[in-house]
Amino acid sequence: MRKKALFIDPGRCIGCQACVAACRECDSHKGRSMIHLDYVDPGNSAAAMPTVCMHCSDPVAPCAQVCPVDAIPVGNDGVVGTASPELCIGCGNCVHACPFGVPKLDVPEMLQYKCDLCYDRSSQGLLPMCASVCPTDALFYGTFDELQAKRPSAKAVDVFDFGNQSVVTGNALVAPAGAEDVIPGGYSVWNEFLETPA
Amino acid sequence: MKKPLQILAPGVAAFRKESSRPGNYVSEERGETMVATHCCYCGVQCGMYLRVSAEGKVFGVEPRNHDINKLKLCPKGVTAYQQVNHQDRLTKPLMRDRREDPLREVTWDQALDRVVSEIRRIQAAYGNDAFAVYSGSSLATEKCYLMGKFARVALATKHIDYNGRLCMVSAAAANKKAFGVDRAANPWSDMLEADVIMLLGANVGECFPVATQYFWGARDRGAKLITVDPRETPIARTADIHVPLRPGTDAAFCNGVLHVIEREGLIDEGFIRSRTTGWDALKAVLPFYTPEKVGEICGLDPALIEKVGLTWGRAGKAMAFHARGIEHHIQGVDNCLSVINLCLATGQFGAPGKGYGTITGQGNGQGGREHGQKSDQLPGQRMIEDPAAREHICRVWGITDEELPRAGTSAVEMVHQAEAGEIKGWLGICNNPMVSMPSAGRIAGGFDCLEFHCQIDFFLSETCNRADVVLPGTSWAEDEGISTNAEGRVIKYNKASEPPGDAKPDWWIVCEIARRLGHHADKFQFASSRELFEELRVASKGGQADYSGITYERIEETGGIFWPCPSEDHPGTPRLFEERFHHPDGLARFHAIEWRPPAESVSRKYPMWLTTGRTVAHYLSGNQTRRIDALVQQTPRPWVEVHPSLGYKNGDPVKVTSPRGSATYPALVVSTIREDTVFIPYHWAGKVAANLMTIDALDPTSKIPEFKVCACRVELGTEIDVPPAPPVPPGGQVYPEVGVFDKLQPSAPQGRGTGRG
Amino acid sequence: MSRWDADPVSDHPINRPAPPPGTALLSGNRGALAGGVASALALTVAILLGSRNLDNFDVALLGYALGTIFLGFGIAYRSVLWVQSPAARRYLIRGWRALLRPGPNLPKSEIPRTVFSVLLLQRFIAERSKPRWLAHQGLFWGVISATLITFPLTFGFIHFRAVAGTESLYWIYVNGIRTVKIDALGIVGWLMFHGLNFSAVLVIAGAAWFLHRRWSERGNNLTQFGRDLMPLIALVAISVTGLALTVSSALMGGFGYQPLAFVHMCTVVLTLVWIPFGKFFHTVQRPAMIGVHLHKQATLASEGAINCRSCGAEMEGAVFVGDLQKTMSELGLDYSGWIETCPACKRIARGARYRDQVKAGF
Repeated sequence: MRKKALFIDPGRCIGCQACVAACRECDSHKGRSMIHLDYVDPGNSAAAMPTVCMHCSDPVAPCAQVCPVDAIPVGNDGVVGTASPELCIGCGNCVHACPFGVPKLDVPEMLQYKCDLCYDRSSQGLLPMCASVCPTDALFYGTFDELQAKRPSAKAVDVFDFGNQSVVTGNALVAPAGAEDVIPGGYSVWNEFLETPA
Repeated sequence: MKKPLQILAPGVAAFRKESSRPGNYVSEERGETMVATHCCYCGVQCGMYLRVSAEGKVFGVEPRNHDINKLKLCPKGVTAYQQVNHQDRLTKPLMRDRREDPLREVTWDQALDRVVSEIRRIQAAYGNDAFAVYSGSSLATEKCYLMGKFARVALATKHIDYNGRLCMVSAAAANKKAFGVDRAANPWSDMLEADVIMLLGANVGECFPVATQYFWGARDRGAKLITVDPRETPIARTADIHVPLRPGTDAAFCNGVLHVIEREGLIDEGFIRSRTTGWDALKAVLPFYTPEKVGEICGLDPALIEKVGLTWGRAGKAMAFHARGIEHHIQGVDNCLSVINLCLATGQFGAPGKGYGTITGQGNGQGGREHGQKSDQLPGQRMIEDPAAREHICRVWGITDEELPRAGTSAVEMVHQAEAGEIKGWLGICNNPMVSMPSAGRIAGGFDCLEFHCQIDFFLSETCNRADVVLPGTSWAEDEGISTNAEGRVIKYNKASEPPGDAKPDWWIVCEIARRLGHHADKFQFASSRELFEELRVASKGGQADYSGITYERIEETGGIFWPCPSEDHPGTPRLFEERFHHPDGLARFHAIEWRPPAESVSRKYPMWLTTGRTVAHYLSGNQTRRIDALVQQTPRPWVEVHPSLGYKNGDPVKVTSPRGSATYPALVVSTIREDTVFIPYHWAGKVAANLMTIDALDPTSKIPEFKVCACRVELGTEIDVPPAPPVPPGGQVYPEVGVFDKLQPSAPQGRGTGRG
Repeated sequence: MSRWDADPVSDHPINRPAPPPGTALLSGNRGALAGGVASALALTVAILLGSRNLDNFDVALLGYALGTIFLGFGIAYRSVLWVQSPAARRYLIRGWRALLRPGPNLPKSEIPRTVFSVLLLQRFIAERSKPRWLAHQGLFWGVISATLITFPLTFGFIHFRAVAGTESLYWIYVNGIRTVKIDALGIVGWLMFHGLNFSAVLVIAGAAWFLHRRWSERGNNLTQFGRDLMPLIALVAISVTGLALTVSSALMGGFGYQPLAFVHMCTVVLTLVWIPFGKFFHTVQRPAMIGVHLHKQATLASEGAINCRSCGAEMEGAVFVGDLQKTMSELGLDYSGWIETCPACKRIARGARYRDQVKAGF
């Protein structure tokens, strides 16, 4: 049973990249940063958003499903691990199948790496590095009750809309109390009709 | 292996993993001890654990659940440990005989003998005051105390100042004037109870990222946030009210807000009557500052000023915080006083959720200016011209009043005195004026006029690189000592590692020079930081900043004690001004502030305002952070922020010219800056130093330079200037990545996102 | 909110990497079972033929032979399970096609180069770390050489007969046919008879390094005994007991040889049985990397890349994306159009939607 999760609130993010620096300090990450920090509207706003693995539960880990060599382990606690180095063949299926754009590929090593919730830490009761250092609690790790105690009006949404497909995740985004129960994943069938910008 | 014939979507292979720059993750270290300490960087002073291997090597960081930061760290804090075993560390004394020669390694005896003989020669030939000491506030407080004592007792020179002069000394002077004491009024946890928080000239999200949690915590409880800044910074982005005023008009804005408050009858008359003095004089200047007039001065919609006035005036509990944005001006002190006026007029003092504070920029910016390395102060925030203070300190130091020099001049003035030939010798520690002082071209000229220049540091800064003697000191992790954070909380650094090579603790170096000089050599027989601290306690006793009840042990037990703490059973004073202010009459002072325009106004030739500041990945002059892999990958180089209306595209070479200098930066086109303003971060040296352009006009009271506003002109340039690699000691290696990362420009003011390249 | 108390993930087929051997058999996957049985039968027939109806079969090696037959069953069984996943099946076909019909766009030298670089030199491991590469090469060549020596012996494909009237000369029989004569005391003979000892030393060195890493590396608290340590311990056990056999016969006059031989056999057989279900299965899967990368290169060269629908940057080979879309459709992942957007743009689009539709500010 996994009661703790990462609750992500891009509204609080100041884009400082402490999470990016901290990710590589996790012992099991060995000097490699897996987290993403994107400036979502560069030029018009200082807005930023961190992206960690959402640990999809339904459908279970698309990355693992499309892996041709079953290299991505999914634990019974729902944590989707980084690719097992002895199995991964570096094909890149997971990189593109992930609806959130999470996995990365080390080309010379022919090996995928992705956020594993600092499993060596979180499985021992420590906070994942990113959530531990995040100066603003844009990345909050804990139970939903702990989140609510700090932010009474917050709601956690773990269903993302990708057009015909909705994805339920192990981690969640924070939304205002009145928000819908589904968060747009960025893709809808309408994307099909959008023109590619010049 | 040949590169695989494969293409990848942008950023898919970008890990921010280690390059040949140090900072590599080391998984081979055996054993692990967690040394509880604090971060070396900004005034927040986050708690952290340094991870130390069985061999005594610092190899990592672990978040620490300290009261201040509650596990949180910023990217600088996360990577701070990488300085300790950095390959660029100075491990041997360096010396050159003539300025044209390269630095070479020498023994401690050779280096120290040269320093001592030059001090003697210069002081004999030109007088004691011809030798200047320029210190820094990133030193532990014990060392700051020692520098003041060293200059005044061992060198008997009046010329001692510190780099807080470039930082926040305006706030210090304003606090002293208004309250009679120079310290933040409240602990930050008080913020959680506020209804309205106003932030002026403080890019908290980037310069004090971890302090953001207090602002967010207050907002989680419903507080409104007002930000005042020419740029819409990360913390201003979501603010309830953002005031994008023109640089250099802060005092007008505050007066305008006070005008609205007074007009609406929202002042706290009871508080004004019982706890303050000087209201009538202030009230007399307010009628001029109508929202319309202020809107004109500040380039704002008058409605915004009304709105801020009503929001602040109607708040039950309100707090104001400011930082360098309003302090780095020729009217920096007045700017701070105008904020204090706001708080005083509405009675916002002395309770949780009610208060005021300045956010110190340097780690020990607060503690470093309290114990006598400021040109006009003695330990314990005593004024050097105060006879009672002189008497106390002379007794502690065992010297006569005649021996104790009078007030000296400020940092930038000292360089100008060097230029004028009044100062001939210079000992610098913990600073990098080549990058940090305004009008950098003139500063370099001033240093060139010196007959002797010695610099103590643990990396070879741009300033060290021009010095005659460079002495290798220690990083914060190699010695113990106390520091006072922006709240006034005294915390302690603990020793995690031995200094590398022949590097020595800074206090040893300074004491050794004093001992070899022989003048009052017996006053410098310190064998540890602890001995220095014990003397500091005695020296500060009875002063404003009274540390006498603080001990190392008490800090360890409590996690930090707020001064004043006059006895060992005193719990410390987290919140000031609950009952009285620190002037003898217990009243706070209003000051009738009139807005004055900046030293340099825009003209036809220089039509744009230039403002400078920091970015999240770098710290001050960048001597530390420009060497850290992760930080360089995040923000490899400076840029110029311009408004889209100027018509540039991202990455265009934009040449910025002021009457003092020019440089060409890649453009970062953002609509978050005022149309009439451009911004350059100042952490870089050489051709891309922002301070080539800034003006060296000084505040008449605090002598702070006007970094935050001058006139400039922008035009399409030809080639983007390349930032120089940080200097390395002789035989050292410059990383091959210099010139690779440096070509990449940030995608946002906070750095490069991880998504592209 | 109850969702945060619930167990979000039930058992799912993608937990396949290390299924317990028993449950895999019981799951009753007919195709896999059939494949396994066929493979075991084929191996048995090969042993019968190779050893001339067991004429040349060494009965002492019976345990090994049975273990190997089970290994044949297990590998085939697991392999059939493996290629039943849409992604694996697609890549298997694509990979073989690229290997057999590389097309005009793939340089001829690319195939041997990739095989050499990936399978033998394992350069990608050197990229992870040099010591790891050295250790893996030790393990790899140790195991390969041991396999090449022992399997033919076990099956009776090769056997030795003393040349009549000599002390140390032997005939080598391959598949029952007499080939060459060697001197057991000569260099070649010495090397041949001690080949397994060399293998053992290589394996021990490599496995010891990996064990050491598992033991001492930071962040290693996820090491699982069964998954990560057992295989290494098994390899060391095989090698040590094997070396002990040599010591017993060469230095101690055969003292304890029989019990040692039995222990050695047990370690080997248990390892063989374990291979298809544990970490060692990567030896079967790894060659797929060659096919996949050749395929990606060939089709990238012939069909070109597709550009991100949002930022327009080249992002992947068109065939790769098309394949992945088919794979996703077969798996019921109904957002395959989304993968024509690059990962960075996916994230930014999601962030922008969040800002516009969920929460703009604090």
